[in-house]
Amino acid sequence: MGNRETAGSLPAGGGRRRGQGELEAQVLAVLRTAPGPVTAAWVQERLPGELAYTTVMTILSRLQAKNAVARQREGRSFAWEATADQAGLAALRMRRVLDGERDREAVLTSFVTSLSPEDEQVLRDLLGHTDDDPEE
Amino acid sequence: MGVFVFLPLVLPLTAWPIARLAEQHLHPRTATRLLAGVGALMALCSTLCLALIMVVGTAQLPGNPLPDTWSDPEVREAVPYDEVVGKAAIPALVAVAVAAVHTAWRQRRVRRRAERALEGLPPSPVAVLPDDAPYAYALPGRSGAARGRIVVSTGMLARLDSRERRALFAHERAHLTARHHRHLLAARLAARANPFLRPLQTAVAYCAERWADEEAAGEIGNRRVMARAVGKAAMVSRGAPFPVQAGFATGPVPRRVAALLGPVPPARTWPPAFTAAGVALWTAAAGTAVSALSSANSAVALFLVLRAATPL
Repeated sequence: MGNRETAGSLPAGGGRRRGQGELEAQVLAVLRTAPGPVTAAWVQERLPGELAYTTVMTILSRLQAKNAVARQREGRSFAWEATADQAGLAALRMRRVLDGERDREAVLTSFVTSLSPEDEQVLRDLLGHTDDDPEE
Repeated sequence: MGVFVFLPLVLPLTAWPIARLAEQHLHPRTATRLLAGVGALMALCSTLCLALIMVVGTAQLPGNPLPDTWSDPEVREAVPYDEVVGKAAIPALVAVAVAAVHTAWRQRRVRRRAERALEGLPPSPVAVLPDDAPYAYALPGRSGAARGRIVVSTGMLARLDSRERRALFAHERAHLTARHHRHLLAARLAARANPFLRPLQTAVAYCAERWADEEAAGEIGNRRVMARAVGKAAMVSRGAPFPVQAGFATGPVPRRVAALLGPVPPARTWPPAFTAAGVALWTAAAGTAVSALSSANSAVALFLVLRAATPL
């Protein structure tokens, strides 16, 4: 069970080593300030710290894989554009965790577990009495 | 010592009736704590017992790093059928260790991935994520630090009315405040240490949900709203792209709703001995005590035997 998210942590220049999620969030934040589709170099210039161009490219492709950014060909390079905001990115990432981890139950205590068809009928019968209950 | 050496390995069989009785008759708070505690203790005893048997089993293998005298006849007399059992204990113990490490590692991984997913968001106690799929989770914080956060999708919020949302948040907050993930992890690890303890894992999971339901119902002051929130959330979550736990009999959600529509469970922690709940408690206590005592007995006896056999 390879963990793509931890494999190959990115070296980040400028003091503190930044986590990958944070880097993604920063790149997205920069991209969202752009007036339109911009190049990776444009993003690289505006990022805090000194990140290698390849690192920025890696993060951009990762964001693209998560559908948080889109790219289009512009001459010989790509122009990038944000398609999600910070919360949207978090949602896309959380969705991957939830879809990918069968064993998440002990960490992420879910509000409800899923129902079988019989459960649903039992539930409808139970709640049938409360739905038309004019409380408060 | 005789066959009593093996008692801690078999006593976890009592987990099933204990779990059933506790689940049905105890206050969810008591039940969660009791079952998680019983599970952890029985798992420890069972593992200790395996380790002791393994020591005797290993000492007779050629080329082992243990003192040769440890496989003397006096030592081996202490464990019946030591030839077979001793050798069988080695892979069993390795399997337990591997399973425990694997479980702990997976927990850590899910937690880190979930934390990383939220990086870049303001550190508020509630993270609302724009997603049409309805979900709500409590993500525990690191020990000592923040209390964790509630992760909820806009899809879930949109399907609940304002009172039901309060119920949902109160429920998840209850999970975080009482640090239920620790009980769940203990029960999971116990189930890995001894398969007989598996019924405790599902029972602890169910009781922790009930506990949070009761806390939340008390906080919002309306059991029906709480019940409706649970029921509605479960019904809209159907068809969400998350795996369904294969359910037999009635699943946990209808039971939770039914319990919420019923009266508040009595908060007495130690019911009288001649009720079903009392039987559950006393069986649990007796089983665990016997398990612990026989493990301690085996450990001490074997330690003495080994010491007597070791020339110092």
